[in-house]
Amino acid sequence: MLCGPRGCLPYAALLFLTATVSAAADTPAPSPSPPNSPPNPSAAGSAAPPPTIEQLVGDKNNWGMAAKDYANTRYSELDQINAANVAQLQVAWMFSLGAARGQEAAPLVINGVVYVVAPYAGPNPNQVFALDLANGDLKWSYAPKPDSAAAGIACCDVVSRGLAYDKGKIFLNTLDGYSVAIDAATGKELWHTRLGDINKGETITMAPVVVKDKVLVGNSGGEYGARGWLAAVDANSGKILWRAYSTGPDSEVLIGNDFKPPYPWMSGKDMGVKSWPPDKWKVGGGNAWGWISYDAELNLIYYGTGNPGAWNHQTRPGDNLWSCAIFARNPDTGMAKWAYQIGPHDLWDYDEINENVLVDLPVNNQVRKVLIHPGRNGYMYVLDRATGEVLSADAFDTVNTISAIDLKSGRPVLNDSLTPQVGRTVRNVCPASPGAKDWQPSAWSPRTKLLYVPHQHLCMNFLTGDVGYIAGTPYVGADVDMFAGPGGDRGEFMAWNPVTKKKVWAIAEPLPVWSGALVTKGDVAFYGTMDRWFKAVDANSGKLLWQFRAGSGFIGQPTTFSGADGRQYVAIISGVGGWSGAIAAAKIDPRVRNGALGFTGAMQDLPAHTVGGATLLVFALPANKRDTANIAAPQQ
Amino acid sequence: MVALICTAPVRVGLMLSAIVAGLATAVPLSGSAQESPALGSGDGGGNPTRSDALSPDRLIDVPVVNLTPGAVNVRPKLAIPKLDADAAQRGLQYFTNFNCVGCHMPNGGGGMGPALSHRPFIYGDRPENIYLSIHQGRPNGMPAWGTVIPEKLIWDLVAYIENINQAPVQQWGTTTSMTSPAIEQVPKEFKPSTARPWNYTQKFSNGQAPNP
Repeated sequence: MLCGPRGCLPYAALLFLTATVSAAADTPAPSPSPPNSPPNPSAAGSAAPPPTIEQLVGDKNNWGMAAKDYANTRYSELDQINAANVAQLQVAWMFSLGAARGQEAAPLVINGVVYVVAPYAGPNPNQVFALDLANGDLKWSYAPKPDSAAAGIACCDVVSRGLAYDKGKIFLNTLDGYSVAIDAATGKELWHTRLGDINKGETITMAPVVVKDKVLVGNSGGEYGARGWLAAVDANSGKILWRAYSTGPDSEVLIGNDFKPPYPWMSGKDMGVKSWPPDKWKVGGGNAWGWISYDAELNLIYYGTGNPGAWNHQTRPGDNLWSCAIFARNPDTGMAKWAYQIGPHDLWDYDEINENVLVDLPVNNQVRKVLIHPGRNGYMYVLDRATGEVLSADAFDTVNTISAIDLKSGRPVLNDSLTPQVGRTVRNVCPASPGAKDWQPSAWSPRTKLLYVPHQHLCMNFLTGDVGYIAGTPYVGADVDMFAGPGGDRGEFMAWNPVTKKKVWAIAEPLPVWSGALVTKGDVAFYGTMDRWFKAVDANSGKLLWQFRAGSGFIGQPTTFSGADGRQYVAIISGVGGWSGAIAAAKIDPRVRNGALGFTGAMQDLPAHTVGGATLLVFALPANKRDTANIAAPQQ
Repeated sequence: MVALICTAPVRVGLMLSAIVAGLATAVPLSGSAQESPALGSGDGGGNPTRSDALSPDRLIDVPVVNLTPGAVNVRPKLAIPKLDADAAQRGLQYFTNFNCVGCHMPNGGGGMGPALSHRPFIYGDRPENIYLSIHQGRPNGMPAWGTVIPEKLIWDLVAYIENINQAPVQQWGTTTSMTSPAIEQVPKEFKPSTARPWNYTQKFSNGQAPNP
């Protein structure tokens, strides 16, 4: 097998990749394309098949999936833009997506076409746009058929984290629970499949991931008692192939004889039932609304599950398996190989859906196949990705809820004095419910061997109360009030060394850093701030090299790719919102601190910095000294 | 109309038992079955009897907007129940029991659903408008409660919402800056059970820990 920064591939796949790419380069194409890249699939008369996602994850010129590659590194081999010249970066073109709510989507680029998706708002909720990278022309757009009521079932703004692509098809998740396939060249609908029901409190916000012709989709709804699941949909037909629930009997969680948890307290039959009071697993949450990585050699997909329903933990004594857990599953069948529950009997809404970055790391002088998981609970986990065993877990922010992770048992050591009780306010709980880091994804550089982590620095007051389950309404039972953590800054962008388990450098930000990270071979790391700055910093030192003031705050994912003109581009969508920023884009009262599940308390001044936006920004170095912003090379 | 009154208690009973089974706290509905015919009459307010005031036809006559073709001023007078402090206190309880607080948040601060803590409301802020928004549901995510909970209960919620949206008004428009707003409500974890949260305010905290 061959392992690199982007994960592992068997040799056979590598040979196939090489053969296909060189064959494609020999095929004559009507329009010019850069060397070593498959021809443009939308070029009229082209005989070459459209690229596969397996080709794209190894192709530095394209960005074929939200996390860049199956290892979820968000690292680019492009270095035309580097630490020495990034100060010259300027806007090449912009595009307005129209719907001014939280813009979390990662721009994808496949052979000169940019694909983005808008939030679920405005006249065309979750509209998909295909744009010509060369000049920003709109090639086509596609609007799914919406159920507007879904907007009231979204806990944390009506966001979409992006699209997926494989073999000429774009895959879309709609907030109201559909998986859709769209022809990438024409925008025509190929199939649509209903996966979720808003009357059960289910929505979909995550970016799908395609593995071996299966579109992997997980639901949201942990604040609605919606039972969590991850489903595989056939990319060609739209048929549901398997669905793995996060709670309930083994037959529905897809746990069989091959399952081996890394610690004995997760062993036993039907633990997804037994670790709950009777029937409470049916409203148990555990939603798979975050990131999915894939190791082709081990044939395992990795993803995390969200909080158990309700937030009031006294409704659900027991470990509440399999909420707040990382699953490793066989993508062909969905059967679980192992699972590790980071947060047994969650007290604080510490979902554990954050990314699992697949890296080969030296641990005790031996190179191990690991995953790095920045925990919502404020601990940076390194797990053996073959077994789920915790190799290390170290706090990366202020944490007083958990004093340590016991590596022998695999369980967190809790600060019992903070345990919530109905009617008793617990004060100064750190980290707050969104954790030390929420969904916003980190990036891994194989050059610096550092993880670039955007995150927040918040604490909270927490008061639980009685709550009853009514389907289609929230199932929470907690009044929350968040605020800045010690020191007063509410965010940070840091570089973390997972071998020494230390912060190497950190940039304090006044507001949570809610955007994703990007890092490149040019040794530049990119992130966006909620007060409208898109920043480039030196990957080694953290020194600020360049910044751009956009129209609205950033909560999106930066990506990078090349055009036919040979220039490297960097893209991100500007538009504040999300759980942290909805106060600036929706009707939320800054004077009532407990709003937005407590986030109002920490973000009540945000509307003084920014309001909603919807702009895709594409940057590049000037083609020549006389270039000014917004002028791209004209089409021949 | 008379038929409606006779069947209402049965309908109410069936639906309530389904809901109460799922509730952690029982809904206090003392005498609701007998009380319905008395709504609007005998409540001490001297209002007309229910039979000519609370029919669904008349509620619909209350406009949601200040825009009537022909520039006719349409303001029908309806005999709605008295939205007093007791009603608001009951409404505070129902706001939690029916998970209104889950979307609209404590004291109506807004979150998944819009803020109810200040006017205007996009679907109208007269009591009759609020009643119908709860009863019928609304586009963009407000569920339809009308066939699921009784009218009297919805009026109590209206009374509560009328109380929580009494935000202090300093000027006609709203200024947002580093010094405005100047005040915030005392948060719910320090003032749990009030139906009049705007009576309790403190200095705006700008995202830092609140000073109770």
